[in-house]
Amino acid sequence: MTKTGKTKKLILAIILLAACVVCFVLLFLKFGPKAEKGSKAYVLEVKGIEKSAKYEGRTDAEFLSGLMDELQEKKDFSYRGTGSDYGLYIYAVNREEANDANKTYWAIYVNGEYGMYGADSQPVSDGDTFILALESYE
Amino acid sequence: MNKKPLLSVRDVAVLGIMTAVLEAAKLALDFLPNVELVTLLLMVYTIFYGGKTLIVVLAFTLIECFTKGIHVWVIMYLYMWPLLILIVYLANKRGAGHLFYCILAAFYGLFFGLFCSIPYLFIGGISMAFTWWIAGIPYDLVHCISNFILCLILFRPLCAVMRRVKEMSPQKRR
Repeated sequence: MTKTGKTKKLILAIILLAACVVCFVLLFLKFGPKAEKGSKAYVLEVKGIEKSAKYEGRTDAEFLSGLMDELQEKKDFSYRGTGSDYGLYIYAVNREEANDANKTYWAIYVNGEYGMYGADSQPVSDGDTFILALESYE
Repeated sequence: MNKKPLLSVRDVAVLGIMTAVLEAAKLALDFLPNVELVTLLLMVYTIFYGGKTLIVVLAFTLIECFTKGIHVWVIMYLYMWPLLILIVYLANKRGAGHLFYCILAAFYGLFFGLFCSIPYLFIGGISMAFTWWIAGIPYDLVHCISNFILCLILFRPLCAVMRRVKEMSPQKRR
């Protein structure tokens, strides 16, 4: 292939890359965060090993799991959990997974104190600060 | 007839060091979400060591399993990194240049989340896979930009180092 041909292909690839970036941003704006309204102010911090994030807003959710469901729909937040004898057991937040192999779990802190309830029974009050922290149980 | 072994003793040693460098680079940048040197290093490794880089990927994935446990990302690693190696291997055969690899690294970072969402298609269906991918788009954008910049800056120096390693035959060192 000639040098001009190669250069043309590279320029086309850069244009395609830019177009993909724009498409991804539009997709995120369309299906990602949405403006929210609610009666209770909250702060939710995620403290993973690899990633940390902080979310602030207002919600009408009764329990923390409801707030997390709202965040999952509207913001760049994701979680996965399963029902257990003790309520909702969270095993992944923002793509970071807790696992038995390295003895980690997602702990819930409410206003600085270790949470006593699972996410689906932890009430949300106005001004609450929640922390989801990936911790070791060793 | 004497069959030539797949790997020489020298290959085993070099591939081991390459794996160690890969793991060290991964751990060093773990605090920065989606900023990583693994893509760039695997590209450079493939250019100089071709298909043997797959052994490095397997060893790297195994080490990650030991340090972080076994989860869905293991499946992702087992097809994402070999895919990159295959693309680089084919591109290298066609004489691709520096800028091509920078663009490839950027594309790879941008589409990383989309391709990694494939296992979730089977776990929770298209809705879960789509939500998971969309939620990670900001991280994919960071991955795209950082991969491009890192490749632009470090590709040539890393190639120079790998060239020296490759050319350093045991006879020459005597």
